[in-house]
Amino acid sequence: MMDTNAALADWLDKGGRRIGQIVIAKKNDGWELRHADDAAREDLHLFTKSADARPLANLDDAGAYRALKTAPNLRHGWRLVLPDVASVRSALDAFYPAMIGVQLARERGELVPVNLRDTLARQTGMYRVTQRLTDAEAQVLIARSCCSDGGCLKTILWRISPELPVNSLPAEKFTARGGDEWPLLCHEACNILVAAARKVVKGDTKEG
Amino acid sequence: MFSKPDSTLVIVGHGSTLNPDSSGPTWEHADAIAQSGAFGEVHCAFWKEEPSLRQVLHCVTKREVYVVPNFISEGYFTQTVIPRELGLDGPQTNVAGRTVKYCAPVGSHARMTDLLLKRAAAVAPGVPPKETSLFIVGHGTGLNDNSAVAAKREVERIRALGIFGEVIAAYMEEDPLIAKWDELSTQPNVVVVPFFIADGLHSYEDIPVLLGIADSSPGAASANAAGVFAQNPYRLRGRMLFYANSIGTEAGFAEVILDQVAAFDAAAA
Repeated sequence: MMDTNAALADWLDKGGRRIGQIVIAKKNDGWELRHADDAAREDLHLFTKSADARPLANLDDAGAYRALKTAPNLRHGWRLVLPDVASVRSALDAFYPAMIGVQLARERGELVPVNLRDTLARQTGMYRVTQRLTDAEAQVLIARSCCSDGGCLKTILWRISPELPVNSLPAEKFTARGGDEWPLLCHEACNILVAAARKVVKGDTKEG
Repeated sequence: MFSKPDSTLVIVGHGSTLNPDSSGPTWEHADAIAQSGAFGEVHCAFWKEEPSLRQVLHCVTKREVYVVPNFISEGYFTQTVIPRELGLDGPQTNVAGRTVKYCAPVGSHARMTDLLLKRAAAVAPGVPPKETSLFIVGHGTGLNDNSAVAAKREVERIRALGIFGEVIAAYMEEDPLIAKWDELSTQPNVVVVPFFIADGLHSYEDIPVLLGIADSSPGAASANAAGVFAQNPYRLRGRMLFYANSIGTEAGFAEVILDQVAAFDAAAA
């Protein structure tokens, strides 16, 4: 089985410096993470433990809860200095849960995208009704919920069905980042999208 | 000392899209177990948060994986949702080269009784148990989560110990309703322990409103979430009422998680 920390160390050694909205810099005393928007700021609040990452990731600038950690609303104003790759990995697992493991699974050829129809077909209980979502409704919903400017930063790897790609978002939404940027991958619609699909089918127009 | 350096522990919680409190205790128990070194690695997975149940096995680096649901009761989530999302077909399943061992949820462990007693004693120090009515509050209703069954079971166990004046199971949405706590109980002191896995809307807002110790306007109680526990005791309806945090915030849950792993191994041996 793979060593996740070694894989992350290898990527950092090769110049990996960005994941989602976070930039990573090599420092004399280890590694520093901060919001990419804060790259030039010198008034950032210093944090020094990987355990600080979860509370930083939990709330946006306005103090609202971030249920989706890959939403483009990471809070600003902090920098996190960590001594080693293991603690960087631990922090990134909090900022972007599962994203290191999912990319490594993809590199191993083990990541199997699941089309939206298969995800919805699997639902039971209150979410079984999502199977009635039409293709047209799905396109609109995905465009609204998954768009990178306000929805989610992940790259979509799935289709609505084998015959039907998502065509309501720009092409770059389906092309994984690479090089010095660690990709954030969506291999299957999340529960947030499934819950939103339920609202569409039920005719609930309320936000949320 | 529990030691499984070549195994991964995955603790599964419900999670929430509304607040971080739902997953908080699950993360805390995971951190405690990770620091103990009991497992080679520890992950959390959630239904409503990330890592999701569909992502978490991609994060696992060991071939042997123990999955413990951080849920109060056997029911829809433990019997349908978690196995389905993880691709399990029984107590032990091979998933993409990993042996996944599916343990019983924490809430069904016999140690729940001790944790409830500990919580009740902590929230009402110095209050004579014999002059106290202890309420164990479950959700109730047709959620198919068997939470009412779990609460009744704990009430019977605690009642049999003969420590408290009376021990009563009550629910938010089915009879006997916790809203009628003063009619259901007879002792001068009343201790209420929510039998939930985390503090959240139910324990911050819904139950306090039903008890009559918080304003019923939406968000009023949760705006001052910790305050509802800090104001003990409440004097109302001629009684002294003590309101506790949800039982799942008890640090002893980490040991219960390990116990459920040990119980799996014992049953498989």
